[in-house]
Amino acid sequence: MSTFTQVTPRVSQKSRAEKLRTIRKIWPWFFLLAMVLVFMVLSKKINNVNFISSRSVQGILVYATQILLIGMAETIIIISGNGGIDLSVHYTLGLSAVISAFIMRALYAANVSPILTIGIGFLGGILICIIPGSVNGWLVSKLKVPPFIATLGMGYVVYGLALVRAKGIQIAEQPPYLGPIGNGSILYYWPSHGVSFFKVPADALPADLAHITPILPNVVLIAMVVAVVIWFILAKTQFGQHIYAIGGNIQAATRAGIPVASTLTRAYILAAVLGGIAGVLWASRFTSGAANAAETGLLMAVAAVVIGGTSMFGGEGTIVGTVIGALIIATIQYGLVVLGMQPYWQYVAVGVVVIVAVIVDQLGRNMEH
Amino acid sequence: MKTILRAVNLTKHFGGLIAVDNVSLDVNAGEVIGLVGDNGAGKSTFIKMISGVYQPDSGEIYFDDQKVTFANPRNARDLGIETIYQDLALAENLDVGANIFLGREIKRRYLGGLINTLDRRKMTNESTGALQRLDIEIPSLFQQVRNLSGGQRQSVAIARSIYWNARVMIMDEPTAALGVSEQRKVLGLVRTLADQGVPVIIISHNMQDVFAVADRIVILRRGRKVGEETAAKTQPDKIVSLMVGAEAVHEMGVIPKELDSNGAKTAS
Repeated sequence: MSTFTQVTPRVSQKSRAEKLRTIRKIWPWFFLLAMVLVFMVLSKKINNVNFISSRSVQGILVYATQILLIGMAETIIIISGNGGIDLSVHYTLGLSAVISAFIMRALYAANVSPILTIGIGFLGGILICIIPGSVNGWLVSKLKVPPFIATLGMGYVVYGLALVRAKGIQIAEQPPYLGPIGNGSILYYWPSHGVSFFKVPADALPADLAHITPILPNVVLIAMVVAVVIWFILAKTQFGQHIYAIGGNIQAATRAGIPVASTLTRAYILAAVLGGIAGVLWASRFTSGAANAAETGLLMAVAAVVIGGTSMFGGEGTIVGTVIGALIIATIQYGLVVLGMQPYWQYVAVGVVVIVAVIVDQLGRNMEH
Repeated sequence: MKTILRAVNLTKHFGGLIAVDNVSLDVNAGEVIGLVGDNGAGKSTFIKMISGVYQPDSGEIYFDDQKVTFANPRNARDLGIETIYQDLALAENLDVGANIFLGREIKRRYLGGLINTLDRRKMTNESTGALQRLDIEIPSLFQQVRNLSGGQRQSVAIARSIYWNARVMIMDEPTAALGVSEQRKVLGLVRTLADQGVPVIIISHNMQDVFAVADRIVILRRGRKVGEETAAKTQPDKIVSLMVGAEAVHEMGVIPKELDSNGAKTAS
């Protein structure tokens, strides 16, 4: 007996749904492209400069790193659904920056070797974030505190503690080799002398610097590696699959024997650790640590996640989408600077883009069903 | 016919209320049992005792002629007693294969188990096999379950239970939310299951469904088993009157016979 044979009309309708879903998935790419084209035209017309250059592309990538790192944390938590959002990641970023700056300052003052100073400093800053991440996860999964409230409260606790530890000021007096990590590039290309790794060639004079092109900033490479790892975790592992399942139907996940509480706790820890990574990168870029390092970073990151197609209802979203979302926001931020506009316009532009993104997303969804 | 599950004199109280009173039921390989009764007749409570959700106050359950007790639903499921509730427990954002393997995903090990990835291809292949064994056709296994019809979703839930070696299938109102043609398909699937040796207990309010698919009909009323009929040898009218109690009342001689049909109508 053949049970589902007379569904032909439905089949065509469903494949249309699949097509729409594909369109919905790739539209952020078109949006990014459109954004770049708009800035290319405008910057040529207004300032007569080329928007596309190795310098501007790398500038955009650097802008995008912090948005991406916090954005990936939000992507994981928002996919886990049931009102999931982490309003504390930007403060764990600050905590990580402060703690790592303290450690590095102390080790440098004690004449510890550079490798150990950086290694222990970075690791300390990142690992400390496991604590607020675990508390978030425990509050949400065991005590059933709504994520919005749990992470809002935890965010302020972390922020306050970081401020107390830093006595409200920036932690400067960092080792001199810290800045080159956060601001340097993997390669330096000097047409007449070739390529050198990690630093400007020693024999280059100040006058030569204009001819030396840095290629691939360190922070961008680190963010790319982290993005690949997080993409792998979400798309390829059982842990990732369980996050999607919990976001889709938490009752079904529970009944199917998925360890919901421990999966959620691990998700919040992973989110906090991503904040921690962003924190040590911030410390190395600005050679200091500050509790308020990423004050506006959180909402920009959530905006990137939404633009990238992650559903605020949970269960749907991708790291690739968030990468594109982060690039779109960074392009807007960088583009406005190139056009010579006041940087405050970025908030207006990002706000408009987020709303447009959600409307397009909803239209797509409505057409699907 | 081999008896797989045997419930003997199960009783369950909730406070002063007797929800199920001395109900016995044999579930044999290859048969479909329709469990019917009005609201509050004790159908759900009875089902929940044989699926481990509730523990009976008295009575015994035998599985494969072994006496068993269930501390929780997991115990019952481990023996192969699968219950499909109306909400189906599917993750609608995931595809068919992911739902069949929900919580029991197949993994590939790398670096001696240091890194494990999902083996989606194997899960898809296994799912295809599970669906084929039940003659279920689904246009694409890579669709999100939310894009499937109600009947197809029901089929995915059934295929999942079967894949994980269901020995007895309990279905709560499987056709409630479906259109007419989908209802027929799901009932066909119930028949296929039974023919493959997995007995099905189906709870339904719908007499047509029950008569279309059940071999045996068990009628509960106010916690007691008031009838057990062979579907081929009985009439819907008779079942309904047993459900609402007209016949019982009538047998006691309180209501004259000619009021029987009227009484049944008002009560239903």
